[in-house]
Amino acid sequence: MTRRAKLVASLAILAVVGLAVLWGMSEPHPLTAAEIPAHQPDLANGKELFNAAGCLSCHKPGPDLKNVDASLPAGGTAFKSPVGTFYPPNLTPDPETGIGKWTDLEFVNAVQRGISPEGENLIPAFPYTSYARMKTSDVLDIKAYLDSLPPVVAPEKEAQIPAPWLMRKGVGIWKHLGFDAAQWQPDPSQPADWNRGAYIANGAGHCNECHTPRNLFMAFDWAKQFQGGPHPGGEGRVPSLRDLIGRGKYADAADLATAFQNGEMMGYEHMSSGGMGEVQTNLSKLAESDVQALANYISSLK
Amino acid sequence: MKKTLAAALALAVGVSIIGVGAGLAAGSADDMINARQAEMKLNMKAMKDLVAMLKGATPYDAAAVQAAAKAMADARTEGVAKDVWNASSQQGATVKSGAKPEIWTDASGFTAAWKDLDTAVAAIAATTDEASFKAAFPQVGAACKGCHEKFRAAEQ
Repeated sequence: MTRRAKLVASLAILAVVGLAVLWGMSEPHPLTAAEIPAHQPDLANGKELFNAAGCLSCHKPGPDLKNVDASLPAGGTAFKSPVGTFYPPNLTPDPETGIGKWTDLEFVNAVQRGISPEGENLIPAFPYTSYARMKTSDVLDIKAYLDSLPPVVAPEKEAQIPAPWLMRKGVGIWKHLGFDAAQWQPDPSQPADWNRGAYIANGAGHCNECHTPRNLFMAFDWAKQFQGGPHPGGEGRVPSLRDLIGRGKYADAADLATAFQNGEMMGYEHMSSGGMGEVQTNLSKLAESDVQALANYISSLK
Repeated sequence: MKKTLAAALALAVGVSIIGVGAGLAAGSADDMINARQAEMKLNMKAMKDLVAMLKGATPYDAAAVQAAAKAMADARTEGVAKDVWNASSQQGATVKSGAKPEIWTDASGFTAAWKDLDTAVAAIAATTDEASFKAAFPQVGAACKGCHEKFRAAEQ
């Protein structure tokens, strides 16, 4: 073998090894059945977290489902993201076009690990990066609530994204850098109410998805948590959630809670634009205690 | 010859007057954006007064409700007269604007959203007591929200 041939051979081997490593890194890592706790479903809790998670905002019935109850997550409404347009799928329990045949394990893997029942990586336009923070029992309650809804026949529409196969592989690699699957841990030095608010904001409420800027790897930049940044849909800037009281945006935590509950119905005009209108509609459906907890947590951010 | 020249001159003057007139009506992009932001500030001030009464921070006052409704209706009339939402305001502006392109791509939706506000403000103006005011108010807030959700971008 000449030196040149040796060099080419070693480069080829390196390339193959590199590709194999990348291929391995792109593989999804689902939870196993043993990791799903035995659970007695609580429908009321499921509904509360369905609203806190804002499922309906993205999974609301699309324009071609005019006769479908607008409160059912039948999917099909276009969702524009920096990588392309998605049509969030049907979450009603229709066995063919919805999630009627999904097992608890498949549901938890989709919501908390970003892995479809077919074993593909989901694009994190679906905020599993935040939902991973939730208690698995809460996720199972959401599934129980979804299973209690009337089924709607609404086939999934294909996402308009470039090179979907490659992108889903890429997401698998990205998960090693930008996805922390650890569940939310309460801060024992804070009151229960504050911890409840923190849990809602960082988990189901997925506030970080828009209000926390991302680093070079598209992972949350925790040092800048809730500082706001460019709007992910490209419309202006997402405001900071830090020091809302000190900056005079709201009088106090109770004022912020009123804003969450009423939004622009009470003249809180920053509660409508950039997608916040739908968030506020969802928050208005939460139990009073949860809204207050969320307001206490958010207004404590410095 | 003289006559032709005079006619041409008259025509030229006429055209330029019409031109200037149209220019004034539409205004520059900055003028339009400033005018609609001024309109929104008037709305905000009126809303503040109404919400204060709604929450009971200030006592209910029928005249104050009328005044706030009139302020909003007048601001709207002025905006329409100045054609502040002319599509030409999308180009050449130096003032920051939260107006989304959907205002012009979904013109019928935008018109309908304004109609919701006009209807709600008229309904407020027609109230005569605290109960009817409190019952009619949410429609005003809903009109603000409905339009801002679709047609206004996040913080600039």
